[in-house]
Amino acid sequence: MAATSDSGVDIEEYDDVWVFVEQHDGEVASVTWELLSKGRDLADERGEDLVALVMGEDIDETDIPQQCIARGADRVLVADDPVFEPYRSDPYGEQFRHLVETRKPAVALIGGTHTGRDFAGRVAVPTHAGLTADCTELEMEDGRYEMRRPAFGGDALATIICPEHRPQMSTVRPGVFPAAEPDEDRDGEIEDVEVVVDESETMTEVLDREVGDVADITDADVVVAGGMGVEGDFEPLWELAEMLDGEVAATRDAVEEGWIEPARQVGQTGKTVRPKLYIAAGISGAIQHLEGMDDSETVIAINTDPNAPIFDNADYGIVGDLHEVVPELIEYFEEHEEAIPA
Amino acid sequence: MTDGWNIVVCVKQVPDADDVSIDPETGRLNRSDAEAVMNAPDYNAVEAALELRDEVGGTVTALSMGPPNADAVLRVAVGMGADDGVLLSDPAFGGSDTWPTSLALARGAEELDADVVFGGEETTDSSTGQVPPGIAAHNGWAQLTYVEGLEPRPDEGRLVAKRDVEGGYERVAAELPVVVAMGFGENDPRPAGLHRKIYAETDFEPETWTAEDLGVEDEVGLAVSPTQVGGMDTADPVPREQEVLEDTEELAEQIAEVV
Repeated sequence: MAATSDSGVDIEEYDDVWVFVEQHDGEVASVTWELLSKGRDLADERGEDLVALVMGEDIDETDIPQQCIARGADRVLVADDPVFEPYRSDPYGEQFRHLVETRKPAVALIGGTHTGRDFAGRVAVPTHAGLTADCTELEMEDGRYEMRRPAFGGDALATIICPEHRPQMSTVRPGVFPAAEPDEDRDGEIEDVEVVVDESETMTEVLDREVGDVADITDADVVVAGGMGVEGDFEPLWELAEMLDGEVAATRDAVEEGWIEPARQVGQTGKTVRPKLYIAAGISGAIQHLEGMDDSETVIAINTDPNAPIFDNADYGIVGDLHEVVPELIEYFEEHEEAIPA
Repeated sequence: MTDGWNIVVCVKQVPDADDVSIDPETGRLNRSDAEAVMNAPDYNAVEAALELRDEVGGTVTALSMGPPNADAVLRVAVGMGADDGVLLSDPAFGGSDTWPTSLALARGAEELDADVVFGGEETTDSSTGQVPPGIAAHNGWAQLTYVEGLEPRPDEGRLVAKRDVEGGYERVAAELPVVVAMGFGENDPRPAGLHRKIYAETDFEPETWTAEDLGVEDEVGLAVSPTQVGGMDTADPVPREQEVLEDTEELAEQIAEVV
C-alpha cells in the first residue's frame, strides 16, 4: 500500500470551500458557525460555492442542514448512518476521504477541537492534502490561498501555503472568527450522500461517553481567569464571574495543578477567547497564555508583581493580591448592583 | 501475545521553548542559542509506554527522526527505561512536513512490528498534533488521541483509552495495532534511574535507519510535502492602555464601564 508522491495533482479540478459541521448528539459545536461565516467570505472571494458536510445519525430529524444554509452554506452534504454516532476517527475519516476524492474540494475547514484535530489527518494523509493546524487567519492574497498560524509561542505568525496539493485543509481554532447571524431566507440545496463506511470495518468502539454541562469559555462576554497566583483557591473567581455573568478560565499551569478542568484553559495549547472583558487574576502573562486572550476587547490585570508582563498587555491593572482585590471587587458590586448587568 | 506487546514511543528533539526568541529588528527567529531538548509532552508518552510495558510485558523502543545528534532524545528515553532506540536519519528527510514525517515514522513502526505506538499530544516547536494521527492513517491503524489513561486488554487484543473530549471524556476501545497520543501532563514521568542513565549515555548505541532502509526515499522531504512555509511575520502586540490603578474601586469602575 505504497502512498503515491503525486506532485502531478491537477489543481484546476478542485473547487469549492467545504466546512465540516461538528455535531455531537445533535448539538452543533459553535466553531462550525464561525467557520461557515469565514468560509462564506472565502467562497465569495474565490467565486465558488460554500459546502457544509454533516455526518451523524438521524440528521434528517434535526434542523442542522437548514441551519447550515441559514449560516451561509450553498449546499449541504449529509452522510446519515448509525456508524457516525458517536464520533470515531476511523469512520469519519474514511467517509470524508471518499467525499474529497469524488468531489474534489479546493479548501476544507475543520474546527480545531479535539474532534477536528483527531480526524483531519485521516483525511489529509490518504488524499495527500496539505493540512495546516490551528489556523488563526485564512486569506486570499493575490489569488493565492494563505493559511496563517501562530508559531513559537505566539511570537510569530507563520504563513502556510499549499501550492501543488488539494484540498488545502485547515483546522481552525474555536473563537478566532466571529459567527454570522443566521438568515432564515437564504436558499440552498441539501443532498444525502452515499455512506461508504460499514460498522464491520471499524477499528474502534466507544464504550461510554460522559459529557457534562461544561461551559464554552469561547462564547463568554466576560472571562475571569486565574493563574498560579490563585494558589488553588478559585472560589473568589467563580463568585466574581457569576456576578458579572461570565465564565471562569485558567492558565495551563493552574490546569496542570488540577485546580480546574482542562476545558477552561486559555492559551496556545488551550482555547482562544475573545470576550468584551478579560480579568487576569494572578496570571504573570506568559506568551503562550497571551496568545489565547489577545483578542479580548478590554484586559484587566491583578498581580502582586508590578513587573509581571501581564501589565504590558492589560488596559487596566492593579498591583495587589487577588485574594484581597477580588473580594473587594465582589463587595463593590454587591453595593453597586446598578453598575453591572442583572 | 504471550510475550507481551511491541511498544514503540516516538520522541522528538526540539529547541527549548524558553530559549527561542524573535529578533525584534529583523523579525527572524533566534533559535541558535536554544538548547536542544526532548519535547515536553513526549515525557508523558514515554511514561505511558513504560507503564503499559509494566502491565502487559514486552518491550519499549524509542523512535525518533532527526539529524544524527537527535540520538540524545533516544538516550533520554532509554535512561527513563526504554529497552532500545532507533533513529531515522537521512538528509532525504530534510524539509518534511507532517505528511512525510508521519510516513517515515509509520514505516519505522511497521518495521518494529509495533502493537502500540505512542506519541506526545503535540510538539512545542510546531504544535500541529498531526503526526500521531498521520502515523495511524498511513498504516491504516486505529488511533486514540488526547488520552488521559489506558486500560490494556491483552486477552481481547485491544487497548481501551479514556480520552478527553470537549466538555467531558469518553472511553474508547481500539484494536491493535493502535497509535496513542498522550495528553500533555496526564501522568508523572519517572526520573531516569542512575544506572540506566549511565548506560544510556555511554554504552547504548541506537540503530540508524535511512529513508532507503524504510523504502520511502521518493516519498519524503520538502519536494513531496504538501504544505510549505510561505513567510514568517512577528505578531504585532495588541495595543493596550497599560494604566495601573491605585485602588480597587477605580478598578471596579473600569470593569463596570465595560460590562
